[in-house]
Amino acid sequence: MPQAANNDKPRAAMIMSGPVRRPPLAVVLVAISLLALGETAGAAMSRLKPEIQRYAATRVAANAGAHGFSGSAEYDDEVRERAIFTAEAGLSFFHLHAEGVGLVLFFASTLVASAVPWRRARAALYLLLTLGGLFPLGYLAYGAAVLELGRDAGIDLAERWILTPLGISAIAGLVGLLLVAARRRA
Amino acid sequence: MTVVVEAPAWRMPPRWVLLVAVLSIACAEVGGASMARFKVELTRWARDGMLARPSVHGLVGVRDVDERILDEALVKFDAGLRLFHMHAEGMGLVIIATSMVAATVIRRAAARRTIIALLTTGGAGYPVGYLAWSALIPSYGLERSKTIAEWLVWVPFGTATIVALWCLAGLVAWTMISRNRA
Repeated sequence: MPQAANNDKPRAAMIMSGPVRRPPLAVVLVAISLLALGETAGAAMSRLKPEIQRYAATRVAANAGAHGFSGSAEYDDEVRERAIFTAEAGLSFFHLHAEGVGLVLFFASTLVASAVPWRRARAALYLLLTLGGLFPLGYLAYGAAVLELGRDAGIDLAERWILTPLGISAIAGLVGLLLVAARRRA
Repeated sequence: MTVVVEAPAWRMPPRWVLLVAVLSIACAEVGGASMARFKVELTRWARDGMLARPSVHGLVGVRDVDERILDEALVKFDAGLRLFHMHAEGMGLVIIATSMVAATVIRRAAARRTIIALLTTGGAGYPVGYLAWSALIPSYGLERSKTIAEWLVWVPFGTATIVALWCLAGLVAWTMISRNRA
């Protein structure tokens, strides 16, 4: 066979890289939707702050019993302000986490698509990571539940039933990816 | 016969998009480092600027009152710098991720180019609003500087990003539906 010139000379070490594969479109859609929701929530927080505060105050007043209003104006005002602050914090956490977790889902699922050779393992990791990607929605529920159920009961509900399971799912997905990557390297 | 079906690969966005994204991240890093390294100098610069324009900031010449006003403005000045640092880092990554999706999923060249341009300009421009807000506080006061940053930077660039992201989400969903039908 004809040889290219100088091919007998020693070459510098080369790092071989494979193509970066795309995860399923459903996973991509969740990641992009999270980013879009996060951006929209950020804009709403800035442009609609008075309206959001008014809405929150209305919901707190409508659920006076859940918030433990005593009839003392000073105490009730403090409780109302705390509940509104917590609801706004929920929206702020949602903005922050949706942007961050959207990116985590995007890049982690791309790693799964590129680095996990087993179909079932890939499917399980996509599922865990996508469920984990829904984690920020827990903060929307957190804000709403605080207004409807009272501060402590609302936080407890959101943390116990939404944030914890979805957060565990995200962690499990990332640990799974780590284990698969470590196993392939070994 | 064995048929190997490989998952489709990502397509890279245009090089200028990656350059803008990396530049945004680099500016954020430099901004973060400068905030820490030149904290005293930056605070002194902002304070001197505010003291030079007492009427803009409602300074009355009474130390107790003025110090409170100056403190509040300096907190906002610092917050603007921190928000620039945070948003420029995040938006740089958002530009890379979303433009990759647009480059891979959108078939029509005109739509692809438009969405990538909106994502890139919106994503890179929006964080600059926080820098502008901070820089304008000493000269224009808290409210006026916020209004200027809002209408010149946050609203146009933020709207571009939000519109492009929702269009992209819609197009990804549309692609999924049309592939399932086919």
